[in-house]
Amino acid sequence: MLRRDFVRAVITVSLAPRGMLSQQSSTAVPAPVPWTLGLNSKTPLPLTETVDMVAETEASFFTKAQMGTFERLCDVLLPPIGNWPGALQSGTPAFLDFLIGSSPEARQRVYTVGLDWLDSASKDQFQLPFAGLSDVQAGALLKPWLRTWMTDHPPSERHADFVNIAHEDILTATMNSEAWSAANLGANQDLITEGLYWFPIEPDVDRVRAACARTPARIIGAPKAAHTFPSYPR
Amino acid sequence: MRDTLFDVLIIGSGHSGGMAAKILTEKGANCLMLNAGPVADVAKDAERKSAYELPYRGFKPPGRLEHVFQASEFNANVWVSEQEVPYTFDPANPYNWVRVRLFGGRSLFWSRQSFRLSDYEFKAKSHDGFGEDWPISLADLSPYYSRVEDIFRVSGALDGPPQMPNGNFVLDETPWSESMERFIAAAKVFDVPVCKQRRAEGRDGLASSVNLLLPDAERTGKLTSVANAVVRQLTVDSHTGQPNGCHFVDRLSRREMKVKAGVIVLAAGTLESTRLLLNSKLANSSGLIGHYLMDQIYGPGVVCSVPEARNGRATKNLMGSSAIVPRFRNITTRSDKFLRGYALNVTSRTGAVEPRNFAAYGAELQQKLDEYHGSAFQMTLMGEVLGRYENHVRIDKEAVDAWGIPALHVETKYTDNEFNMAKDAVEISSAVAESAGFEILSKNAVPNPPGYSIHEVGTCRMGDDPKTSVLNKWCQSHDHKNLFVVDGASFVSSGWQNPTMTILSLSMRASEYLADQMNRLEI
Repeated sequence: MLRRDFVRAVITVSLAPRGMLSQQSSTAVPAPVPWTLGLNSKTPLPLTETVDMVAETEASFFTKAQMGTFERLCDVLLPPIGNWPGALQSGTPAFLDFLIGSSPEARQRVYTVGLDWLDSASKDQFQLPFAGLSDVQAGALLKPWLRTWMTDHPPSERHADFVNIAHEDILTATMNSEAWSAANLGANQDLITEGLYWFPIEPDVDRVRAACARTPARIIGAPKAAHTFPSYPR
Repeated sequence: MRDTLFDVLIIGSGHSGGMAAKILTEKGANCLMLNAGPVADVAKDAERKSAYELPYRGFKPPGRLEHVFQASEFNANVWVSEQEVPYTFDPANPYNWVRVRLFGGRSLFWSRQSFRLSDYEFKAKSHDGFGEDWPISLADLSPYYSRVEDIFRVSGALDGPPQMPNGNFVLDETPWSESMERFIAAAKVFDVPVCKQRRAEGRDGLASSVNLLLPDAERTGKLTSVANAVVRQLTVDSHTGQPNGCHFVDRLSRREMKVKAGVIVLAAGTLESTRLLLNSKLANSSGLIGHYLMDQIYGPGVVCSVPEARNGRATKNLMGSSAIVPRFRNITTRSDKFLRGYALNVTSRTGAVEPRNFAAYGAELQQKLDEYHGSAFQMTLMGEVLGRYENHVRIDKEAVDAWGIPALHVETKYTDNEFNMAKDAVEISSAVAESAGFEILSKNAVPNPPGYSIHEVGTCRMGDDPKTSVLNKWCQSHDHKNLFVVDGASFVSSGWQNPTMTILSLSMRASEYLADQMNRLEI
């Protein structure tokens, strides 16, 4: 085949489907242009806000009594200090209600058992629910259980586990909140909670067809009491 | 292209696979590299964000990556999903299998501590009678260590005792901080040596296969790489019985593929290479594939405060510096509590002290954080785990991964040897810190679960006897001379050292041997 014949053949082949498609489009699809025409790097991006600044979390995991205890616990453990918002001002109780409610059962149990114990201990010692205690009274219940500990090794003894784990979660949720970040900016300090976030990298969008999607996950979190290793599921 | 017979098929693209690709292509071999995951492009795959912009405020997404303690919401998408690639274990003996399948593997994310093994590891059985000696010595590997240290630009000082051999370093001549000098003086009384930390500086802030090894291989024009290729099984030539390629599945489309090569080099990471051999039913005449799984105990340590650095008095002269205490137990004396030994990472640092170091809350806690800011001094353990036959992996008969490939079952646990080692480390660390005048804030003697260190080694150990080992001293299968395993699976003992320099050196040595054998038409 001569070169010009080959080129002509290639052009004919490449044009044919387009011609057929345009005939179909003219009858079946009213849109006059391809759907994505004009979307490019100059397309302005809409401005959006993070949800915590415009809406409230609908807390649904803790019972009403547990949430009352937890809100008081948050306020005692991390009240506003100077210009920095406290846990309540940062929406921490409702956020942690969502986070713990989404977590494995073992983590949920640490909280629900812990909150029930705290309220019960409060009624035993002060004849008041924990939500109604003064700072001094709350401190009398909490301080005996405070421990120092190293990363990944929170205390495992009963009550101390809840108090110390909840304390760290309350600190983290508050210091990572938008309210705290705004105070940080106002204080002209570095954003200490900023980091390099990795998006899903070529996610397997077809996972639903995978064998593992049809069988229960086989990874089993070890019960805390069964071994000496930290197993607190997060 | 599909009929191409590659000289060498390299499975895995981390440190060991990258080194194999560099050496083999530079020696003229036509190589195909398959990697199970995608290429990570930090420019399009990552972005700086505030924690509050993320769905879980920076907390690890609940229920995901339960056994990756290193994970946070920021990096959750770089680790292998435990749901996508499951593994199983007895709940009483958990195992943390920490994996990265991005191109470059775990070489993208590592602490960069860079040590040579010594003959206290290579000839450990001769020293204390436990386990087996390696079929090689430090003298055999030393020239390769030197070349690897040059490529990775390892910084350090020539201050190592025999159990921490010196190397080809970018010399670290920075002075110690005053707090570290106090620690060194106090440690001397306890016969505890303290040396400068050793660390791979790399290039442009990275010390990975993707920037230090693969570009050299690509420059030869002899490396073909494929991403998202999940290898299902090695294939075997029905006439010769030798491996001749592999079946793999495209991670995204699930299209089943196959490819052929004259030589197979496994570099998928210790447990993935072993899983592949077990699923392929190859190279296991010894029956030892999967056995002698080891790692290092991490987690125990002591956090202190240097009193003179508190209340805003921390200066660069007083605080800063990092050091390594190389193994000092069971070198010239014998402990009656445990075999082998451990190292301590010692860090004097400015910056915040974590709130968990204080039994306080609210305003009192804030006052403590302000007071102690800049005064932290800590010691953390890296301890050798003994190689035991019963610590092993095998194929789970029921569980499969997202592509239907049988999953691994891990059966391993620490013994009193490791637990006693951890207690000893915390005791001596506390004694030295108190002697130095530091205040101890928190301590922990409980190891993290096995696997946490991400230093899993063994399961295809090397040796001279095919009945007691899987590979020979060249990381070559005793059963199949065209099959090599160049990652950490060949280790005979784990040592206390970060294994990366040894893995790189073994891969370099094995690859040069392979290239030589191919040139001689022996393979």
